[in-house]
Amino acid sequence: MVGTPVDIMPYVRGVQLILTGYNGYTKGSRIETDKLVREEIVRAINRVRNHMKNIFDIKFKENNMDIARVAKQCMEECDYFTEDVKKAVGGMEHAFLSGQSSPSNRELKKLIQHDHDSITMIIEAVNLSNSAEFSMNTEEDKTKMIISQTTQKITSCRGFFNARANVLAGLKQKRKKK
Amino acid sequence: MSSYKWRDNPEIIARLVNAGNIQSFSTQEVLLKPNEACAMIIDGRIGDILTETLLKNMAGGFSRWVGDKLGVTANDRRLLFAMTGPMDYWIKFDGQTAGGDSVKGFANLRLKMEIENIPKLLNYFANNAPIMTRETVVNVLSNELNARVIVPCLASCQNSAELRGANFIERFEMTAESEMRNILSNLGFTLLKAFPITSPTDMESMEKHRRAMEAKLATDQINTDAELAEIAQSELVTIARIEMEANIAKATARGEVTAQLEYELKDLRAQEEQWNAELRFEKGKMDLRMEEADAKSRRAMEMFAEVQERKQQRLQNERDFMQQRMDSQNEIQTKIMEMAAETGNLTPEVVQEFLKQQTAQKAADTGAKQDMSIPRTCTCGMNLAAEWKACPNCGAPIS
Repeated sequence: MVGTPVDIMPYVRGVQLILTGYNGYTKGSRIETDKLVREEIVRAINRVRNHMKNIFDIKFKENNMDIARVAKQCMEECDYFTEDVKKAVGGMEHAFLSGQSSPSNRELKKLIQHDHDSITMIIEAVNLSNSAEFSMNTEEDKTKMIISQTTQKITSCRGFFNARANVLAGLKQKRKKK
Repeated sequence: MSSYKWRDNPEIIARLVNAGNIQSFSTQEVLLKPNEACAMIIDGRIGDILTETLLKNMAGGFSRWVGDKLGVTANDRRLLFAMTGPMDYWIKFDGQTAGGDSVKGFANLRLKMEIENIPKLLNYFANNAPIMTRETVVNVLSNELNARVIVPCLASCQNSAELRGANFIERFEMTAESEMRNILSNLGFTLLKAFPITSPTDMESMEKHRRAMEAKLATDQINTDAELAEIAQSELVTIARIEMEANIAKATARGEVTAQLEYELKDLRAQEEQWNAELRFEKGKMDLRMEEADAKSRRAMEMFAEVQERKQQRLQNERDFMQQRMDSQNEIQTKIMEMAAETGNLTPEVVQEFLKQQTAQKAADTGAKQDMSIPRTCTCGMNLAAEWKACPNCGAPIS
């Protein structure tokens, strides 16, 4: 596992628990690793969206527009997040010819840590959405609150994921020697 | 190696390609952009779904031809290309509100396709041509959208005004989200947004026409009012000008009259001054006359007083003379009597004779002067002298 120092191994292991095949951006598989992370995030967002879709369908047919409205808002937020992830920058291609520098261990550590945190955060959102759907049958008065928390978590995760562009931006250009 | 283009028209959404039909000497490759994906169906099984990659050796080429001939490659290889990004679909509808207003318009559906849902397009391609365009999607969706979304939503509106409310749009979107899920899910689409755009209804057109006519009438009224105001303004200006001219004429005339009056006043004042001068002259003359008369009167009075005084003095002198004569006579008589007494001739006859003569003498001395000594007074209160023929004060004759 070239380029993955020992101190980031816990993060790599943490991601590997969720993503089989994640190897911490080793040489030769960096693009695939990046796609793998993004696809996992999209998959998690879809899970959130599916939960919200169920809540929306039920509440809309019950004519409970308050909860249906917040569930729809959460679904829209998921759609925005999905588009952000799908159209996010990948980086780290053609390092030899395009003037892009090879990532240092420090930069890879930051990227892996960011992946780990992003996936952890979106999983929290998935758990919240699951709780929201579950609460419909147990504690209906809390459903709206949990949906709002899910939306808030998705929004936070979206902002956090967009910061990935800043992490990748450090990899785009070779450093000029002074 | 040549590049294969699966989408040569922006209306194309998905295409099912039979790789076996691509017979070319050079191998074909296709570039999949982030909003494009390709699902591989190999020998009837759904294989990988690729995106953001350069798909090399997808079809054609000598080696693949040789492999086909040798039977070492798959018998059936199909590539299902699809656009995954959000796309807008416009579906025309024609409905009616609960109030009977006819409503025409378009429903906008914004759909996207998840990568893992791309194989679901096989449901469509099983019964349709291998190219899916916007038009075909609209044709597939329009009936269900009309029946499950548009008609119920329009039926919940009493009039065309409710069509413009936010509630209707929200309900439309939510209804579409709920009711269209089945068919969209079967086709692999995900609904992102839905909203209606309705053309003006007949009632709205009529209302619009009414408003336009009202606006036109209001505009005409405003123009009329403005013209009337302009005329009134012009009238006011004309009246004001006429009044001003009249005032100027009056002022001019008044000025001339004033000048004439001032001229006449000046003449009058001159005349008045002349009259005053004459009056003063006459008054002076009169005063002089009166002073002269007064001086004469005073002179007369003074002269009268002087005459009186001289008269009194003369009377006093006369009385003194008379007294002296009487005293001297008395003294003489006394001496005569004394001489008579000394001589013895003083008899009663002599005395008697003496008294007679003395009485006669006194009567002769005082008798003529008796009337002159009695003071007389005029009816005006003026003391009159005996020798005056008339009163010097009132001019009344003295009898």
